[in-house]
Amino acid sequence: MPAQNIPTIETNRLILRGPEAEDYPDFKATFSSYRARFMGGPLNTYEAWMLYAAEIGHWQIHGFGMWMIHDKVTDETYGMAGGWMPAGWPEKEIAWIIWPDAAGRGYALEATHAARNYFYNQQGWDGAVSYIDPKNLDSIRLAERLGAAKDKDANTIDGNDAVYRHPSPDALKDSQIAHGIEMEISHYADPLFKPKGWALD
Amino acid sequence: MLIPTISTPRLTLRAPETGDFPDFAAFYASERSKFVGGPATEEQSWRMLATELGHWPLRGYGRWAVEETETGKLAGIIGLWNPNGWPEPELGWDLMNGFEGKGYATEAALAAREYAYDSLGWTTTISLVSPANDGSRNVAKRMGATFEGMFEHERHGTLEIWRHPSPEDLTAGGMEAYA
Repeated sequence: MPAQNIPTIETNRLILRGPEAEDYPDFKATFSSYRARFMGGPLNTYEAWMLYAAEIGHWQIHGFGMWMIHDKVTDETYGMAGGWMPAGWPEKEIAWIIWPDAAGRGYALEATHAARNYFYNQQGWDGAVSYIDPKNLDSIRLAERLGAAKDKDANTIDGNDAVYRHPSPDALKDSQIAHGIEMEISHYADPLFKPKGWALD
Repeated sequence: MLIPTISTPRLTLRAPETGDFPDFAAFYASERSKFVGGPATEEQSWRMLATELGHWPLRGYGRWAVEETETGKLAGIIGLWNPNGWPEPELGWDLMNGFEGKGYATEAALAAREYAYDSLGWTTTISLVSPANDGSRNVAKRMGATFEGMFEHERHGTLEIWRHPSPEDLTAGGMEAYA
């Protein structure tokens, strides 16, 4: 049964939809693994399900939340991305997690870029942050590719996270960084340099 | 999904909403929540409320916010509960602070059980009771449930399983007192 009122976003390669019951095993696999160590994990079965339900309830409470990232063609899931602001969060966050075997293909960039555009253009957000564990280098790199910069003066969640502040809607509009993101995504989707074959030995 | 509304003589079972959070968090901040995983911080309580809401679309059923109809105040969170790792779908009740001793848990739980049996077609249900929670055990007994055994949960520890009368038991066995 789908949750009500969660919008769908299509991008070049992806479709973002509300989290559904059939996607839960993929979520559980990652959140019960070492991969989830920067997101409060690894979680046991019960905790993982409770968090998954909370991801959906977040939408009902705030009118925004985390989408499940699907491949537009095969529908397989690659992770989650979207907005997140449970109690205790100083500001609205843009958050993401990519399943381990889907990493390295630019899906997080493509999904978070689309989510941020949605929040800025459809929901009137005037900015956003990402709270990142300082040891989570992949996420820090993604935040920087999205044009976010470390904000040393901003309030953190609990002192153990670094705050990366995203460019405002005005700063992002028609900017070099926005064009750079589009170009990077298009290169993931259609690489400029393609291997013409594999070495035989 | 659309969460149904149910009325009983004194109570209204409706979808949980953001406005319920202060009372919900006050319950989870209090010692009274020790039988259901508390006490919890405000942040944990917020996630719990989000989980209550998300349970509905994931399972097609969930727990209602139970309002005292006359005052509009939140009296409890009561209904059908089945997170991953639960032994089977459960009928559960949490009364908010200050609403004990009025028979509200029994009144709302009877309505929720009727919904499970009549609208969802359940053929049985259980309630899990923390061994030290006499008030909750009494509600289970008043509803005609019988002790069946113990269940060990990774987070909640040891819980008693109380099995409710089936729909047939209720109609055939002269159990109208419970319905």
